[in-house]
Amino acid sequence: MSRIKDLQKNLFGGTTSNARQFGMIFTLVAIVVLFQILTDGLTLRSDNLIALFQQNSYILILAIGMLMVIVAGHIDLSVGSVAAIAGILVAKSMADWSLPWPAAIVFGLVIGAVIGAWQGFWVAYVGVPAFIVTLAGMLLFRGGNQFIGNANTIPVPEGFRVIGSGFLPEVGPNTGYNNMTLLLGLAACAAVVWRELQSRRTRRQMDADAAPMWISILRLAVMIGVIVFASLRFASGRVGTSFPVSGIILVALVLAYSFYTRNTAGGRHIYAVGGNSRAAELSGVKLKRVNFFVMMNMSVLAALAGMIFVARSAASGPQDGNGWELDAIAAVFIGGAAVAGGIGTISGSIVGGLVMAVLNNGLQLMGVGTDRVQIIKGLVLLLAVAIDVYNKSQGRFSVIGSLTRPFRRDGSGPPTASPKVGGDAAPVKVAG
Amino acid sequence: MRNFLGKSVAIGAIAALALTACGSGRDEESGSSGGDAKGFAANSLIGVALPAKTSENWVLAGDLFSNGLKEAGFTSDVQYAGASTTVADQQAQITAMVTKGAKVIVIGATDAAQLSTQVAAAHQAGVKVIAYDRLITNSPDLDYYVAFDNFKVGQLQGQALLDGMKAKKPNGPYNIELFSGSPDDNNAGVFFNGAMDVLKPEIDKGNVVVGSKQVDVKQTAIQGWKAEGAQARMDQLLTSTYGSKELDGVLSPNDTLGRAIITSIKGANKPIPVVTGQDSEVESVKSIIAGEQYMTINKDTRTLVKQTITMVKSLQAGENPEVNDTKSYNNGSKVVETYLLPPVAVTKANAAEAYANDPKLAPLTK
Repeated sequence: MSRIKDLQKNLFGGTTSNARQFGMIFTLVAIVVLFQILTDGLTLRSDNLIALFQQNSYILILAIGMLMVIVAGHIDLSVGSVAAIAGILVAKSMADWSLPWPAAIVFGLVIGAVIGAWQGFWVAYVGVPAFIVTLAGMLLFRGGNQFIGNANTIPVPEGFRVIGSGFLPEVGPNTGYNNMTLLLGLAACAAVVWRELQSRRTRRQMDADAAPMWISILRLAVMIGVIVFASLRFASGRVGTSFPVSGIILVALVLAYSFYTRNTAGGRHIYAVGGNSRAAELSGVKLKRVNFFVMMNMSVLAALAGMIFVARSAASGPQDGNGWELDAIAAVFIGGAAVAGGIGTISGSIVGGLVMAVLNNGLQLMGVGTDRVQIIKGLVLLLAVAIDVYNKSQGRFSVIGSLTRPFRRDGSGPPTASPKVGGDAAPVKVAG
Repeated sequence: MRNFLGKSVAIGAIAALALTACGSGRDEESGSSGGDAKGFAANSLIGVALPAKTSENWVLAGDLFSNGLKEAGFTSDVQYAGASTTVADQQAQITAMVTKGAKVIVIGATDAAQLSTQVAAAHQAGVKVIAYDRLITNSPDLDYYVAFDNFKVGQLQGQALLDGMKAKKPNGPYNIELFSGSPDDNNAGVFFNGAMDVLKPEIDKGNVVVGSKQVDVKQTAIQGWKAEGAQARMDQLLTSTYGSKELDGVLSPNDTLGRAIITSIKGANKPIPVVTGQDSEVESVKSIIAGEQYMTINKDTRTLVKQTITMVKSLQAGENPEVNDTKSYNNGSKVVETYLLPPVAVTKANAAEAYANDPKLAPLTK
């Protein structure tokens, strides 16, 4: 049942808890349009879109892990420090022990896993609150970074930089576009169509009312429109640039983790633990294992994010990772996650992260200084969550939520405490 | 019906976006450094990316750039990195400046080794990049570097140390101690080598004696330019070496360390020797006027900014900017064409003259 509901929702989603997520997609589109006008078309120019993805992929990767941590009812303050210590160790491993770069990436992920296991152990098996464990970790690993790096900046070799500043290669005939990016867009279109057909078939097989044909076609038209737009933009950057490698890593992670959190027992357990850990435990969810996993997973992703940043910066420096935890946490909450846990989606967090990213980028293009940018970002975070809290306390949905209500009409069952929220392909769609 | 409305709005928005996408393939021309002798429009955008506003010096530089570029007829975009996420901010700012179509970007790097990707992107977009004050390393795409001559700074410090000691005590041999800056700072070694360029011959002649025999840059370095580090090292030197011997001079690479050294010596109740410095910090200028610290170096931000703007103007006119050093500054990928400004040594004798144009320091010298 939930599968059908998900498919039904995959355009904008439709449950109550989804209202804010839809609102955020809407906000994202509005912000993009606003800055597109204010910056005379710079915002959606291909070089800017490419830069936007390159600059923010590491924060969005952190947001994936942070969403799972927050859904499980925890928080992780150490991600910036973990990213920094992984970055400096990886840079050192290549500079001092001349580790080849692919091995160095594996090494970095192992560091993340070890650190994650350490934090997961304290959270899950000793029962120290994650806030405290990761606050300690924040100090511990920041100190470790300074200790190991001696506050030096250590450059990394060319090959390694690909994961942070590389692009899809130029292959095939000269079409005026980057062919690989076009192929990627084509594959995405095909996947969307396939999914839609699949959903209609499933519904027919189950003798459910298939959505009216025009809805399907409309939905497909919108999604394909956005994908085509995005891939043309990314493919038409300056020769040598295209969809960034870090963006591909991000998309792959989003798809994989969305599937995991929505469609697998392990993923659903995280929501169960965050919603009501006692009830979850009594229903047979292995509480400790889930907590251990989310903390460990977060550190692995933090290490990956750290490496991508180092690769993009061409060097690991003593300031890496400062303040990243706050960006990631903000993205997750703007994207509709509940502070108490149990509610939130990967795609929502990515949209939340993109709202912040576009805001940041647009203001920078307008030449607004970082001081004012920070003020504006702070207000946006507060407002986004405040509007949601207010609407909930009034017992009604947001304006946008009521707009989308008709979408829910053939979703079966009342959309009450179900923490499940839909729309996993959203970040890719909206990126354009 | 509302269903239809909601969707129409969404589609409308997305269609609007899609429309703006149409019609363009990739722009093949994209400048790529072909514009050497062409110049650009006189009201073009000039980007200036500076580190976080942590020192007065950078705030002053930012104001001078804003006003100076405006006076010269350019449109300026002066940005500081944020206080907490400095490197990432600066990277994003430089990228935004390229997107906005800046013709020249002046960068005062927060971390000189973490900007090569952005400098490369700027170069490919045909933007000229000038490194201001700090040399951007490991980048083959950096066009120019403008800074004060740091080797000369060291030489001036070394010379002032000798002159100061001679003025106090006409005949040697003189006992001195050497300090140098943080080992992770490129400039620290340059200052030290400059000073040793002057001091080494005297040490070899026996005219000047390093009491502790610590003459290697590794032994003299103060990690992170930390005042407490210099104070601790001076304390140790005083106990180990100068129980009965007299200390005549201390080579200090900057004002902060110089004042820490003086504090240590005062604490041990010894007469203050000749102590050098650099940066013209307010406290040190006061100290010089009071007769404690012997000298400092004036590297006037005004002249540095003025020189940078002159370079931008030459680029605008399509000329090659004037440089005076084409061999000393290798950033790890190439030798960068550099304009070096001469620093000025300031002692009590010439302080009033040296700071005459400085609204903050001039009153102190009266």
